[in-house]
Amino acid sequence: MKKPTPKKPTAKAVLARLFGTSAKGIAIEKSVLTGYATVGNQKVCVIGTCDGTYIDNAAALRLAAHVIQCIERAPKTPIVMLVDSGGQEPNRVAEMLGLASYFGHLLSCLELARRKGHKLITVATGQAVGGAFLCYGMFADRIYALESASVGLMPIAAMSAVTKIPAAVLEKLSKTMPSLEFGAAPFALLGGVEEVWSESDDVQARLAKAIATSSTEDNRAELGKKRGGRKLALDVRQRVLAQSAR
Amino acid sequence: MTGAILFHELTARQRIAALVDPGSFSELLPPPERITSPYLAQLGIPVSFDDGLVIGRARIGGKKIYLAAQVGQFVGGAVGEIHGAKLTGLFKAAARDKVPCVLIVESGGVRLHEGSSGEIAIAETMRAIFECRALKVPTIAVIATDIGAYGGIGILSTCCDFRVMTEHGRLGISGPIVIEKWMGKKAYDSGNRALVWKTSGGKTKYLLGDADLLVHDTADGVREGIARFLGKSSPVSLASVKARQKELAKRLKKFGATSDPEAVWKGMGVRNIEAASLASGPEFAALAKRGK
Repeated sequence: MKKPTPKKPTAKAVLARLFGTSAKGIAIEKSVLTGYATVGNQKVCVIGTCDGTYIDNAAALRLAAHVIQCIERAPKTPIVMLVDSGGQEPNRVAEMLGLASYFGHLLSCLELARRKGHKLITVATGQAVGGAFLCYGMFADRIYALESASVGLMPIAAMSAVTKIPAAVLEKLSKTMPSLEFGAAPFALLGGVEEVWSESDDVQARLAKAIATSSTEDNRAELGKKRGGRKLALDVRQRVLAQSAR
Repeated sequence: MTGAILFHELTARQRIAALVDPGSFSELLPPPERITSPYLAQLGIPVSFDDGLVIGRARIGGKKIYLAAQVGQFVGGAVGEIHGAKLTGLFKAAARDKVPCVLIVESGGVRLHEGSSGEIAIAETMRAIFECRALKVPTIAVIATDIGAYGGIGILSTCCDFRVMTEHGRLGISGPIVIEKWMGKKAYDSGNRALVWKTSGGKTKYLLGDADLLVHDTADGVREGIARFLGKSSPVSLASVKARQKELAKRLKKFGATSDPEAVWKGMGVRNIEAASLASGPEFAALAKRGK
């Protein structure tokens, strides 16, 4: 099953599309994004990744440092998180030094920001897979994705290689189980993405609206049930809550 | 009593029985409710009535806790939609009732056979863990098995207030086989067990400060370890994240250029590597402390 691969926009093009001329306030260093920009008339803090880079200990620290700086110097400024990363750095030294803990630290910084009144909005702009999506992007109040983004656990070919289940079997099942399908649209059916933004959408207006309407209440299980992509999660969770209350 | 059986050799339900006050465990969504994975069923893979996660209420030393134990024998303890939803629900119940929540980890991360649902469930559980932390409800991850805490569950474990580990436990994201495939056998020989454990095992994690406590590989050791943290919490504050930022930057600067775990051991105060390799739990901790 061959699908046409959508053309990948450059990091600069993505930033210009999202932030217009204010994108100049965002530094790109070793595929890590940090800075400030404007959405509508509002200042936002930006952290993120580009070029499908792998996130290592140093990258996680730089993202965390920028979040801390924002909390200290720009109280309550919304934080926009852009995700284009192929995963955590698969490296023994990174593991030895505790990459998981560096990610946990980044998540703690974001949690502090949320508690201190910063809205957290993610836009998946490129690859948003595995550990790289879990270590900051999926921790937002609300998560959006560009249509061209590659969102999900992993593509079916990779899933097949690891599980030894023939790709054709997974491909067929994915028609009725969007959890197995890879991409922004099926991920939205699971509730993992609030809304997918298409090529023709005015993403600056969408982003402004996303910030205005965000809520710290995690709504993903409800969305997944409503949209029919993740039918069990909410009910099972509620059953646990009901039984434990007895 | 489980006698001389080591904690890492027990099954999830045996671990619970060995840890909690006798007769105090009551399981939530127990196996008779038969909540099983539709994904695995469709793929023709055996299902489990608990979907690889035992959850419930119990007491340790008379104190109420919520408790979850992952079942490593079932798809490597990996997180599918139901497994993940049980976990999210348990942490949410802990936040609602202000009762400490303990997770006995044994998981390689997301259950690949179920795709992205497990990944989202881990993200939802992280949110629920931080809900607990904001309310000063203690969250404790026990990492004490060969399967350890990897992938998304490795990251999730670092979100808890405290981590209790044994030398058998491993904490990381990418496992040795994945890294070997990626970087080559020269960079990481996944068959070299000593290297694997010195890279991700409890002793190294304890030395670096990613495990808060290193205990003997016994139910008594783990129980005492948990009990020490039941009345405590580690709130997320500006001061705490700034201190952590400094500490992690220092660690990277000090050890980022070395590939030798023994250099890390030495750098963290271990004088006699051989003696430390043979020492267990608190004895190891004492040896490392003496070198400082």
